[in-house]
Amino acid sequence: MAHIWPIGGGKGGSGKSFLASSLGRLLAKSGKQTLLIDLDLGAANLHTMVDVPYPEKCFSDFVTKKIPNLENAILETPFPNLFLISGAHDSLDIANLPYEQKIKTLQAIGKLKYDYIILDLGAGTAFNTIDFFLASHNGIFITTPEPTSIENVYRLMRAIYLRRIRHFFSANDFKALGRKVKEHLGDDSRHQPENIVPIIKKEFPEKYALIKKDFNAFCFKLVLNQVRKQDNAALGEQICKFIKKHLGINVDFAGNISYDEHVHDAICQRVCFLDRYPHTRAANDLRVLNRTMSNAFGEQMMLNYL
Amino acid sequence: MEKDFDRMNYYEMLDIERNATAAQIRAAYNAALQMYQPDSMVSYSFFSRDEREKILTLLDKAYFTLINEAQRTRYDGELDPSAISESGEKSAAVKKPVNIFEINRQQLNSPARKIQNAELKAKIAQNPLIQEIMARQEISGADLKAMRTGLGVAIEKIQQETKIRLDYLHDIEEGKTDKLPAAVFLKGFVRAYLKSLCIEPADAISVRYIDALQRKN
Repeated sequence: MAHIWPIGGGKGGSGKSFLASSLGRLLAKSGKQTLLIDLDLGAANLHTMVDVPYPEKCFSDFVTKKIPNLENAILETPFPNLFLISGAHDSLDIANLPYEQKIKTLQAIGKLKYDYIILDLGAGTAFNTIDFFLASHNGIFITTPEPTSIENVYRLMRAIYLRRIRHFFSANDFKALGRKVKEHLGDDSRHQPENIVPIIKKEFPEKYALIKKDFNAFCFKLVLNQVRKQDNAALGEQICKFIKKHLGINVDFAGNISYDEHVHDAICQRVCFLDRYPHTRAANDLRVLNRTMSNAFGEQMMLNYL
Repeated sequence: MEKDFDRMNYYEMLDIERNATAAQIRAAYNAALQMYQPDSMVSYSFFSRDEREKILTLLDKAYFTLINEAQRTRYDGELDPSAISESGEKSAAVKKPVNIFEINRQQLNSPARKIQNAELKAKIAQNPLIQEIMARQEISGADLKAMRTGLGVAIEKIQQETKIRLDYLHDIEEGKTDKLPAAVFLKGFVRAYLKSLCIEPADAISVRYIDALQRKN
C-alpha cells in the first residue's frame, strides 16, 4: 500500500508545488518509487518544477476516458524513480470535476503501485481539494508565516473538519443537525465546526463516537515555508498547539523551511532546486523535513473510497 | 476534540500541571498572552472580537487565581475536593520564599483592566456632575472626592493602584495644605489619582487643582 501525502494550504503561493516536487525528488533519490500527481485542477504547474516541459499525457485524458487507466497517464521524469501525472494540458473546465469522476480518481489512485504518492492540491477550499486532501490520514498543510496565509490555512482546516463531519451524516440527518445548531447557537453566531461538535455529542451520541474515533486516526502535518530570519521560529509549534486546543485536530509540526532567494532562481531556470542549489539553507531544511516525515508517518490507509 | 475553552479548568487553559510553581504559571500566562493577544499571528482571524475578549478575560482570571496561593487552594478544592489535603501536605514540606510583593495586583494593560477602564470612561461621559466639575476653572479637593464617589470607586482602590499613601489621598480630597507634600509631588499625585479614575485630561485638571490651592493661600 502506497503512502499518500496530500499537500494543501489555503493560499496560493505558499509553496505547495515546491514542497511536493522537492519531497518527491528526495524520496526518489532514496530509492523509493515515487509518483507526483498534479491535482491543482485548473492551475497545474508541477510539470515545470520537475523538468517535464512538454507532457504528452495528462490527468484530463483519464477523466475524459481517452486513457482507460490512470497508470497510462503516468509520465517519466528526468529523475530516476520519480514519476508524474501532469495537469498541464487539462481541459479548461477540469476545476469543476464532477463528484463521480472524483471518486473514480480516488479509487484509481488507491490502486496505484508506488511507495509514495504525493498529491499537489490547489489553493482554496473547494470540495474537490478537500476530498483529495482527505484521501489519506497524512495530509500536509503548508503555510508561510504571514497572517494572510495562516488565515487561509485555518479556513482550510475548518472546511476539512466540517466536510469530514458531513461524511458521517445522510443528507436528511445533516439537515436535522443544521436545525439543531440553529436552536442551540442562534442564527447569528458563527457556525464553526468546533461549535457544532458539542451539539453532535448531545444530539447524536452514536455519530459523535464515530467522528471522534475517525479524527483520532488522522495525523496531519504542518510545514512552515519561507521562514525569514526575523520570523518567530516557534510559530509552527504554537499553531499546532493552538489548533489542538481550539479545533481538537491533531496537527504535528513537521518543520520550517527557510526563505531562500535561490528557490526563485531555480524555478525561473526550470530546474530542480535541490539539484541546482544543494548546499543552501532551504535545501538542508527540506532534507531534514523529508527525514522527519518519512519516519513519522506510520502505516497508512486509503479512506472510504475502496 | 470538542472541549470549549470556557469549560476548561484554569490549569488546562494555561497548559500547566496541577502542581506548577508560580514561575511556571507566570511563564505559561505570558506564553498564552502572546498567543491570544489581538496582534498575534497564531490566533489572528481565528476568533471573532467577542470570542477573543472572552478568552483574554478568562486567562486573566485563571492567572490571578492560580498565582495567589490562598485563591489557588480554594480553587483546587472546588475542582477536586479530595485533592486539597494532599496538596496541603506537599506544600508543607517545601520551603518557600517569603512573599514580599503583592503578586495579585492587576497589570496595567491587562484585558480585564481595559474593560474596567472602558466602563469608567462610559460612566464619566454619562455623569453630568462630573462633566460639570471637569469644566470648572478651579477644582478643589471636594470636587475630586465628588468625582470619585460619583464613579463609585473606593479610595483604597486608588491607593492600591497609585501606591500613594492613604492619608495623603485623604488630605488631597480635604485640601489640608499644611500636611500635603511639596507642590511638585502633589501635582504628580493628583495626576495619578485622576488617571486611575480615567479622568482626562489628567494633566490640565491637576494644574487647575494646584492653582486653586495656591490662590487660596
